[in-house]
Parts: sequence; C-alpha cells; structure tokens
Amino acid sequence: MKLSRYSEDGIRVQFGDSINLEIHNKVRRFYFFLKSLELKEIIDIIPSFTSCLIRFDAEHTTFQKLSSFILEREQTAAADLPEPRTCEVPVRYGGAFGPDMEFLVSSLGLSEDEIINIHTSVIYTVFAVGFIPGFPYLGILDWRLSVPRLETPRVKVPEGSVGIAQLQTGIYTFNSPAGWRIIGRTEKKLFNPREAPYSLLRIGDRIRFLRL
Amino acid sequence: MIKIINPGWLSIIVNGGRYGYGAVGVPPSSALDRYAYCILNRLLGHDKDAPAIEVIGGNFTLTVGADVTCAITGARVKAFLNNQPLSSWAAFPMMKGSILEIQDVGEGFRYYVGFSGGMNLERIINSYSTNLECGFGGFKGRPLQKGDRIDLKNPNMVKPSEIPEKHIPSMKPPHRLRIVEGPEISYFSDDSVGAFAGETVFTVSGRLNRTGIRLEGEPLAFKAEADMSIISEGILPGTVQIPGDGVPIIMLHERTIGGYARIAVVAKADQDLLAHLKPGDHVQFERIGMEKAESLWKSKQETITFLKQTGGRYEKIV
Repeated sequence: MKLSRYSEDGIRVQFGDSINLEIHNKVRRFYFFLKSLELKEIIDIIPSFTSCLIRFDAEHTTFQKLSSFILEREQTAAADLPEPRTCEVPVRYGGAFGPDMEFLVSSLGLSEDEIINIHTSVIYTVFAVGFIPGFPYLGILDWRLSVPRLETPRVKVPEGSVGIAQLQTGIYTFNSPAGWRIIGRTEKKLFNPREAPYSLLRIGDRIRFLRL
Repeated sequence: MIKIINPGWLSIIVNGGRYGYGAVGVPPSSALDRYAYCILNRLLGHDKDAPAIEVIGGNFTLTVGADVTCAITGARVKAFLNNQPLSSWAAFPMMKGSILEIQDVGEGFRYYVGFSGGMNLERIINSYSTNLECGFGGFKGRPLQKGDRIDLKNPNMVKPSEIPEKHIPSMKPPHRLRIVEGPEISYFSDDSVGAFAGETVFTVSGRLNRTGIRLEGEPLAFKAEADMSIISEGILPGTVQIPGDGVPIIMLHERTIGGYARIAVVAKADQDLLAHLKPGDHVQFERIGMEKAESLWKSKQETITFLKQTGGRYEKIV
C-alpha cells in the first residue's frame, strides 16, 4: 500500500499496477474498511482497479494528518467485507444492438455464436464502478475477445449498451459517449438515482451475461 | 414562483455538489465557479448548499411571482430590471411581475442567478445539481426551457448589497492556470513538461462542455517507454489528462474515473476560472508546488469567509 498526494485535497492509495484479482481484493478490502470508519473528513472515495482515490475536506484535516491516521488504523483493521452479490444480465447480441459485432467477427476470426458463447461463459467481477454513474468495469474478459478501443469514440451510445475493450467488458448505464466496441444491449436497469443505494452493483460484485 | 421567459444558451440548476457516491460513479456536478456560487449565497443569506441557476450566454429573461431579492454573480453581464441597468455581483429587490433580462455577457462565460428564500426543488442523491448527461437532479434533470416555472421556497427580502470590485476576480483571457503535478507527469519528458507548463500557448477548442475542456496547441510527447493510456483510475476535478494525440483535456466535475495520463491538476484556487474558458481563449499553464497551491487556496477561502462576515448580510458593502 502506497499513499501519495493527488492535488490539494486528494490521497491516492495504490495497491499495485496491473489488473488482477489479488490487487482488486486489496483495493476492495481497503475501500470497505475506509468506508466503515465513517470519517467526516472524507468527502468521497473512488476505488478502481489498482487504487483508492480519497477526496478529503481540506478545511478540517490535512494530507499528513489523514494519511497517518489511515496508516495507523489500517494495521489493526479487521476484514469485515460484504458478501459479493451475483447479478444476471440478459443481453441481445449483435445486429442493431451490437454495431461492432461485424467488426469483431472479421477481425477476431470467430463466428458471432463463438463470440457470444465466450462472452457469456465467464462470471465477471466488478473491478470498479464509474466514469458515469453505475457503469461497471468488468473483468476479466477472455483474451480471445481482446480488441483495442475505438480510435475515435462514439459521441453517444444508447443506455444498456454492452461494450468490450482489451480485457474488459462493461455496460453503459446511460446514453453516453463510448470508446468501447459495442456487441449488444440489455434492458436491465443498473442505476436508479431515486432509490438508495442507487447502483445495483458495487466493487466486488459479480455479473453473468445471458443470451436473449 | 419564477418563470423562465428565455433560457439563454444553456441554463441549469446547480449547487455545491453531489458527494458520497463516487464509488458508484456519481460525479459532483457542482457549480463550476465555486467562488461566484458561494458569494451568490452570501448575497442572498443562503446556506452553502442552496440551488442556483448557472447560465451560459445572453438573452436570459425571467419574471417572478412574488417580491424577492435576486442576485447575480460570475461572468460580467449586461443586466436590466424592468429596462433599468443593474450591476452584477450584487443583490437587488425584484418585485412581483418585474422582468429581469440579461442581454449580453462581457468578461467571463458562466454566471449565477439566485433568489432569497431559495427555490423549491427536489434533492436527488444529496444534491440539487443537474447531472445533464444522465438526466437527473436540478429541474427535471434537464436545462431550463422557455415557460418553465420553479416554485420559490420561502420568498423574502434581504437588504441589497454589492461586492466590492477588488473581490471580483478577473475572467479576462488570456488565462493563466496554475497547476500542481499529476500522477503520470513522468510519462512525459522534462522538455515536454517544461513547454506544457511554460511557453506553450493553448487555445480553448469548440469541444467543451461540463465534462471537460479540450485544448488545441503543441502536442506533448510521451516518453518512448510510457503507455498512452493508463489502467482506469479515479480523477478529481481540474485534472489535466493527455490522450494519445498529446493535446490536453481539462476535466471538470462530471467524471469519477479516467483512462488517460494525468499530467497535472489545476490548483484549486484557479479551478473557478475553468468556468470561464470559452472557445478561442488562450491558456497558459504555470507549474507551482503544493505548498504554494495550498496557501493560494487558503487565502481564497479566507476571502469567502471575510465576505460572509463583513457587515452582515443586511448592509451594503463598499
């Protein structure tokens, strides 16, 4: 665990520099530990693949004070982790729902059925939720489906679009700009701003895609 | 009740921001010029979280259905109340049925309009701010339109007051933005960082919105061994990202995670200025140390506190 400064009111807590479950588990454990402290000096916490980014209230604490407090408490922290939830996401693959499917078929040397079978055969872990509300960054995608992001992101894809990029897959929870290759779409609602805790998924939960 | 007669180019409801759910991707969506927003609240005797209207562009007109005090801060505007010229960065009485018109914007880009007693709006995820992209918060999750009516919460009058000129920040281009180093500054050669935070003059492109501001100018060069993207990671407002083409994007308050190299973060004391960058403006970065950034921020906070206390809210401050 390495703490460093991120602007005047941020602390970046790093656990490694690659995408894997071991690092993910450390991030997840630390996130739930930090959250359980319910410190009023902490405004927000953003856990992701390899780190937690803490935004703190610079009027009521300092980087040094909060960092040493966290380091001290972390030593004795008990791992009281919530049970990961598993969620099923039905997807319509290809056609108008998956505008990049044809590109994948031609560039990966796999048939559409093979691509769908590979995509639905893995139970994915939620490594992070973000960039937009509720968007799950899911891993780890089978290497046979690994493709680069679009060179020029689309300005807008419809809510529910399922994308893949490199060794990740994810679900666009709102109409939004998108740089990943879109292979299908789901009608499952993953985010509801009117009902706490708002997001169906949080870090560490699992997803299984079902073919509709 | 207030009624929107003309919504300007884009007007939305904002407040101090939406916090506590960054772990599920909920961004702050806060008022972009925090200083102007805080001073607006001070002029109206509001708490620090009250909803305000953030407007871009002239031709913004509204009327009120009760006697209230109205205030305007942010960009310098040409404003009229029943055709009588008004000063901005001031609170003034607005009688039932009178018409406030903001004809044109001079210096700056975004301005803030609020009413004493506040507006009656729903808090969504702890905030009144509009998340425009996702369509929630604010007023029905969307920009204000002609004919929209917003209920006033507790219409009342506060004594008119005016912010002294010396406390109104300059919003005039060219903009000088002070920055502190970001996590991936080492992805770029010293020469490249030196030029970026030195002689390079960037121009604000037409690609800007509440999510980010794309600049144009001399691209930065990645070191040969550096990746052009990073494993997606948390970002804070004001983060300057360098995508593969080497040209900076300044992130505002609508993203929690980014995937590009974070070369720098705009010093908090200068982040309010980001609200006033407009297409064609020139921007230069200046690298400062963390201690300096902290002291600039502290003195800005002290100005806000000072303006909140001086003379109380019922007296004219000059």
